[in-house]
Amino acid sequence: MGEGLSLSDDVKIIENKQVPSGAIMLFGFPDVGLVGVIAASHLISELKNLEEVAYMDSKLLPPLIVLHEGLPHSPIRIFGNQDILLAVSETAIPADVIHQIMYALIDWGKNKNVKMMISLSGIPIQERQDVQELKVFAAASNSETLKKVQDLGVEILKEGYMVGPQAIMLQRCAGIGLPALTLLAQCFFNYPDPEAAAEVLKELAKITGLKVDVSTLLEKGEEVRLRARDVMRRTQQELSKMKKTQEYDIPVYIS
Amino acid sequence: MATKKRRSIFDIIDEYFEDLEERAERFRETLIERPSWNQKTCTIEPLRNIMVTPTEVIVTVDLPYTEENTIQVKPLDKKTIEISARMRRKIRFYDFGITHYRGEFQAFDCQTRIPVLVYMDKMKIRFKKGILEIRLPRKHEYTIPIE
Repeated sequence: MGEGLSLSDDVKIIENKQVPSGAIMLFGFPDVGLVGVIAASHLISELKNLEEVAYMDSKLLPPLIVLHEGLPHSPIRIFGNQDILLAVSETAIPADVIHQIMYALIDWGKNKNVKMMISLSGIPIQERQDVQELKVFAAASNSETLKKVQDLGVEILKEGYMVGPQAIMLQRCAGIGLPALTLLAQCFFNYPDPEAAAEVLKELAKITGLKVDVSTLLEKGEEVRLRARDVMRRTQQELSKMKKTQEYDIPVYIS
Repeated sequence: MATKKRRSIFDIIDEYFEDLEERAERFRETLIERPSWNQKTCTIEPLRNIMVTPTEVIVTVDLPYTEENTIQVKPLDKKTIEISARMRRKIRFYDFGITHYRGEFQAFDCQTRIPVLVYMDKMKIRFKKGILEIRLPRKHEYTIPIE
């Protein structure tokens, strides 16, 4: 394989394996509580048939590789089976290149005829440690998708600001007419939150039928929090550059 | 009616330099990249957050694997606290698949600057779901009367 799809001079997606057509594409990118990254990592370990099908090669990213078993890997990779494609980043994505990175992945997914894109993420709440049951909210790229998830009992994020990769995904997908959904679990702003990741995976199962056992994720919660500390610290720096705290703001209503 | 307490010029200068020093430290922190663990002291620097409200400063610290009865919060001066805690188990680099570093850690340790004046002696601490929360009432040295 090793085919490269040049989406621009600066961003390439190289395919290692046959990429299925018509799958659902998921995104687990570093954001508040590292909800998406933790959820994606759990998906990869639970669904044994998810294999790396492609990776991103980009001059926009820092000069960084991730070593696994002594071999180099891109920090942004796409895993897949016949039904899903999962884009995941093992490093914080610099705020100033997030648009190009997301556009490249979305356009690649559209090229693979994905039927829907779903971003797994979080929404920060204050006094998170006092909250027993975490809610999961959804926002969609079009009213049909929104209605579908609402009918499944998922609460809608009606008003507010959204900042980060999921914001770009919704906007881009709305623009190109691709159904997209963002699932946001209530979480800590700047501490890794495996409980929130478990909640987001439960809602994902409700929407897609993708059943994943989250009990091991919850059992290993403390280990995950410790392991994810450094990525969280670097993500925090990028979130600050993105003005992530604007999600706490009340928008001016313009109809 | 609000009262106004007079401060000497030396207090104002002291406060100005303290503020300047704090800003410089924050700037240095952003420039100097360092690991979040210390092999020499066998400690890990925890993630933490500071929130300033009109009445108090709330510091939270993420302390997974922590034994609650080992948590210590010590004021080092008027604006700095040191937080330390022991973990229930030893963490080795090897546990995370890292074999090119040697070392094991069983404690968290960090120092945190409080950005405004507070009453250190009125500090309240609680620990829930692995998150340490430190509440420090703010010290308002003077108020400006409304004319």
